[in-house]
Amino acid sequence: MIYVIDHKDSFTYNVVHQFSLFDNVECDDYEKLNLNKLKKASTIIFSPGPGNPANYPLTSKIYRSFKGKKKIIGICLGFQQILFCEGAKIIEQKKIYHGYQSSVRVVSDNSIFGKGKKFKVGRYHSLKLKEPFKARNFEITMRCTETNTAMSFENKKDNIYGFQFHPESFLTNNGKLLIKKILSY
Amino acid sequence: MNTLKKLQNLNNSGKSYIIYKSKNGFDLYTNFSKKIILNNNNIIRFLKKKNRKNKLKNTDLYIGFFGYELLNNLIGVKVPKQRTNKFPKGIFYKPEKKINLRKDFLCNLSKPFNKKNDFKININREIYSKIFKRFKKKIKSGETYQIKICTKYKKISKIEPLDFFCRLSKANLAPEAFMIKDKNYSIVSCSPENLITKKGSLITTKPIAGTVKKTKKMNKLRALNYFKKNIKENKEHNMIVDMERNDLSRICKKGSVKLVRTKVVEEYKDLFHYVSLIKGKLNSKVASIDIIKAMMPGGSVIGCPKINTLNLLNNQEKENRNIYTGSFGFIKFNGDMRFNIIIRSILNYRNVSEISVASGVVVDSSAKHEFEENYIKAKALIDLY
Repeated sequence: MIYVIDHKDSFTYNVVHQFSLFDNVECDDYEKLNLNKLKKASTIIFSPGPGNPANYPLTSKIYRSFKGKKKIIGICLGFQQILFCEGAKIIEQKKIYHGYQSSVRVVSDNSIFGKGKKFKVGRYHSLKLKEPFKARNFEITMRCTETNTAMSFENKKDNIYGFQFHPESFLTNNGKLLIKKILSY
Repeated sequence: MNTLKKLQNLNNSGKSYIIYKSKNGFDLYTNFSKKIILNNNNIIRFLKKKNRKNKLKNTDLYIGFFGYELLNNLIGVKVPKQRTNKFPKGIFYKPEKKINLRKDFLCNLSKPFNKKNDFKININREIYSKIFKRFKKKIKSGETYQIKICTKYKKISKIEPLDFFCRLSKANLAPEAFMIKDKNYSIVSCSPENLITKKGSLITTKPIAGTVKKTKKMNKLRALNYFKKNIKENKEHNMIVDMERNDLSRICKKGSVKLVRTKVVEEYKDLFHYVSLIKGKLNSKVASIDIIKAMMPGGSVIGCPKINTLNLLNNQEKENRNIYTGSFGFIKFNGDMRFNIIIRSILNYRNVSEISVASGVVVDSSAKHEFEENYIKAKALIDLY
């Protein structure tokens, strides 16, 4: 079972809908989480959401308790949340991307998506990862082809993945494929 | 007696009635046997009401509206104490009579009027700019991705709603136009936007983001190019499509939510709209109340993400929105429904007319531009007076 933690976003159910194609999905508001579901889940997903990771201490707590024990995937805010827990700074960017389609490229040799591959993706984010960023076993695997902003990370050892863009958006081509790859890895 | 005469007689009789745009003309509903004034306590009972019947008459439905505050409260969003004129939060009627009107009834009732704009706006340019700046910061810090500031124009006046509705619909025949005439209030609307059409297990929503006036130079193809090139309209539209997909996904079978039409131009009498059409197949256990809670208030006129943006708006606005950005429509006894989003509307209550409008804050737009944009939107209605 996949457990989606909803940060009261208006895109969370697109995530739920997309992941339901591969497994049973449960979804609850981050303030009303069910501990049993959390324990039962094989995969935990941190949804997109407004604000910044510092606003969601509960989610950070969950991350710390389950890191290395379950597969964890973060999308948009969820992506930032995981990096924030790993010591990253999340900062405002000059140009804001809400409802944008951008091109991203796989930049890492180790990525499960294959180095050099390009994807068109949908973006909804005001904030971004401040670089340089270093954390054990974490690697930035995709970047925006225009601005070089970090767009995904992979930590294969602990089974943790994140996308700054929205694989569930209609602006993302092949979003389903990206999700399938991560879930089956 | 022809329908026009009937309509005039009905109007002169002082009876309450509702007109709602249909596919080929208009439907008129009257002879109301029940009038339900909604509040936070009775709305759930109203929506859970079992009215199932084997044979459905064309009047086996409730028609009316949900106001903005009621819809907020229904999804657990609080609205702080605001100035209010005590207009009901929602009203539904059970009609006993339905008449089909052809659209040519619109031509016959119009009468001349004198133009005088003495509407008063509830927030001036200066305050508007302040709110605009505050919200821009909220976008930069990621608390909202898009937010729409609402301004309200008011004036003391008596209106003849049928006359207003005819003149308004003649100028702009909107697909979700409606009017309500009741004893102590009336609503006249040229809403263009359908929020819910539900037939059996099929549900669709048709968000609009992007409007341009038809001129000699602006044809359908040019309108499409105009929208494609306009980054602001495009971004807003994308966001709304994803948000509406999300809202449908809450209540639909997995894998069934699909974009039927993506960013196409629809042509109306005087304007072009940039629209998308999204459909889904409802989960078998979904009830009317689940549909209303998932879809309302309609996201395209609020901003995104819905909950946080509603909270930002509610903490900012000093005056109750009443019907504005609520929904008007009907629920049939078999559970089918049709609802619009209440925009481009006049509410006349206790001899005060109010017109609300809103436009979106985006990082690269200016307060001056959006303030004026709001006035242009209101002007089409103000000019009726």
